[in-house]
Amino acid sequence: MSAKILVVDDDAALAEMIGIVLRDEGFEPAFCADGDGAVAAFQSTKPDVVLLDLMLPGMNGIAVCRAIREFSGAPIIMLTAKGDTQDVVDGLEAGADDYVVKPFNPKELVARIRARLRPDPDEHGSVIQLLDLRIDVAAHEVKRGEERISLTPLEFDLLRVLAATPARVFSREQLLEEVWGYHYKADTRLVNVHVQRLRAKVEEDPDNPKYVVTVRGVGYRAGGA
Amino acid sequence: MTVSADAPRQRPDGSGDAPLGQGVWLRLVVWARASGLFRIWRRSLQFRTVFMTVLLSGAAVLLTTMAMSHSIAGDLFRSRLDQVLGESAQATRYAQQVLDGTDAAGASSIAATVGNQLRPALIRATPSSNNLNALLRTPGQGVAGVLQDQRSPRLPLDTITPELRAQVAAGQAAQYWQSVTLRWADGTDSPGIVVGTLLQIPVAGQYELYIVFDLADEAATLRFIQQALLVGGLALVVLIGVVTWVIVRLVVRPIRTTADTSQRLAAGELEVRLPQHGEDEIAALWRSFNEMADSLQSQINRLATLSSVQQRFVADVSHELRTPLTTIRLAGEVLYNRRDTFDAITTRSIELLNTQVQRFEELLGDLLEISRHDAGAVTLEIEPVRVAELVGSLVEDAKALAAERGSEIEFIAEGGHGMAEIDPRRIRRVVRNLIDNAIEHGEGRPITVSVDSDEATVAVSVRDRGVGIEPANLERVFERFWRADPARQRTLGGTGLGLAISQEDTALHGGWLQVWSEPGAGTNFRLTLPRKHGATVRSSPLPLQPPATEGDAQ
Repeated sequence: MSAKILVVDDDAALAEMIGIVLRDEGFEPAFCADGDGAVAAFQSTKPDVVLLDLMLPGMNGIAVCRAIREFSGAPIIMLTAKGDTQDVVDGLEAGADDYVVKPFNPKELVARIRARLRPDPDEHGSVIQLLDLRIDVAAHEVKRGEERISLTPLEFDLLRVLAATPARVFSREQLLEEVWGYHYKADTRLVNVHVQRLRAKVEEDPDNPKYVVTVRGVGYRAGGA
Repeated sequence: MTVSADAPRQRPDGSGDAPLGQGVWLRLVVWARASGLFRIWRRSLQFRTVFMTVLLSGAAVLLTTMAMSHSIAGDLFRSRLDQVLGESAQATRYAQQVLDGTDAAGASSIAATVGNQLRPALIRATPSSNNLNALLRTPGQGVAGVLQDQRSPRLPLDTITPELRAQVAAGQAAQYWQSVTLRWADGTDSPGIVVGTLLQIPVAGQYELYIVFDLADEAATLRFIQQALLVGGLALVVLIGVVTWVIVRLVVRPIRTTADTSQRLAAGELEVRLPQHGEDEIAALWRSFNEMADSLQSQINRLATLSSVQQRFVADVSHELRTPLTTIRLAGEVLYNRRDTFDAITTRSIELLNTQVQRFEELLGDLLEISRHDAGAVTLEIEPVRVAELVGSLVEDAKALAAERGSEIEFIAEGGHGMAEIDPRRIRRVVRNLIDNAIEHGEGRPITVSVDSDEATVAVSVRDRGVGIEPANLERVFERFWRADPARQRTLGGTGLGLAISQEDTALHGGWLQVWSEPGAGTNFRLTLPRKHGATVRSSPLPLQPPATEGDAQ
């Protein structure tokens, strides 16, 4: 079954062109041209990945992102014309998993989508214990005692990668490769923002993290090692 | 006439106080320096004016007081002297009359006459002498002992000096006088005048009559006047000081206000103005100052608006171009991926389309970046980074491209393994740009990339051994869209903005981006960054001019 991709972009020509590229790659695109209808479109199409333009008529991309995150952890990739600005950080903080900067090429776009669709490398149900957190890889579930902690797939991957080898310190670049599937590009803001989001969910005191620990100048490692 | 000081006695000041005076002066200087008086002197016009006014008016008042005191003293003395001499002359006349009229012929009767008649007559004739007199026999006369020397018991012994006596005895004038100090038995003293005349006493011979006048009252009057003058003078000086202070303050305060306001204006507070009221010179100054500030503010605002409008325009254009460019690019790529299904002409066209779209995209990206720098809208994302590692991976990435051009890249990292607080994305872009330039202009000769660091800084230098840059053009390499040789074929692309952006990024880090070049020997770019964010670079661990190596011979 081909993956469903929701393209939220107000530029008809670009949306159509993206549709051509996606179909060519074997995806099934759906379209939405404004921010106000985006959430409804998401609910009706139930896409596997959302491509979300940040500059939209009506509700802007960041608000749409936040609205979708209210009820879904589905991967969201931002399309932005401003690669360096605060917009990217705002989008990531609103819950987007990744972003591509216009003008992008088809390979880049498809690679981003595939990275988000990538099946978990270790599906056959191991369970990782990180301090008092129970990470059930098969069930995509994290529990502290009986309390279930809801993570997006990306946050789950991030925690799983760190917890799988607790003694190892991951550099941001290594995490970009393992979690996001990047090989060259190194925008460490992706890592920083998502570590913060992850901490906000799993840590009891996000200012004093014990599950995801910063190793100054190097990167991050799982706590308790 | 005997020497006499006009004024009642004046004591000379104690001798030997020159070194004492110097010491005092020295201490005064030290104190003034310690109390910051010199600083106030230098910095406060008001203090200086008041000080000088008080000093000069003080000197004037002192001189006036001294002159007045001097002339009053003279007047007092002269009027008393006139009175004294008159009384004395009259007393002498009386005395001589008494003596001439006596019929006494014996020594004892003379003595009785002198005691009973002469002395009371003297006292009556000189009411202001307070009964101080002496009747002394002129020495050197034949017969002695007829009449004893007579003197008032209260009269101090040393009052009548030998010089006076000699002059009186010589008898060339009717009267002689001398100023003296009367030293009383109780230890006090007061100024006085001694007037001496000659008396011919029958039988007894020639006697000198000295009448002593006490000037204590005059001295007291003088002292009182002097004190009054002194107090008045001091009060005057203080008053002058206060008046000066008030007046200078009236003038200086507006000057200070103006100075403060200009300073704030210069510091960028364009909206500050001076109060406008009154019609005097200060008001005129303030009015024109405000007009100047108005005009300055409107000029600056106009320029700022213009500049921000322009920057916004560039940024907006870049953004607006991005969406259609993305569509073009996607379409181009789709065509490009199917290029083998087209004929030769279409295929070539698609290839050209593809590369030029890429170039267009790079240009747009750089344009956007530089406009962001111009707008001051760039913020660094600082994190601790090992610069040697960062540069090493860039060198690895560039090796393939360099090999295509026949260049080898040598990487020497003597330092830079410690942490430096930088924005890795921007520094990566800067170094990549330098390496790309070196490959572009390296003429296929070896390229050396060095990294070194010291405590405060980390430096990267990228050296090629290509044609180099003419000295005249060296400072233009950081200019936007500048090209060393416009006719030269560009193979690696590049937008012409790379070094300008690198320069801006380096400046944001507080670092240096410098270039050394020699035609024929090649070019060396050196990037030096502070390892602590916010610090500035003072020196670089790498040389700007590369040390001579064998490769440079050609």
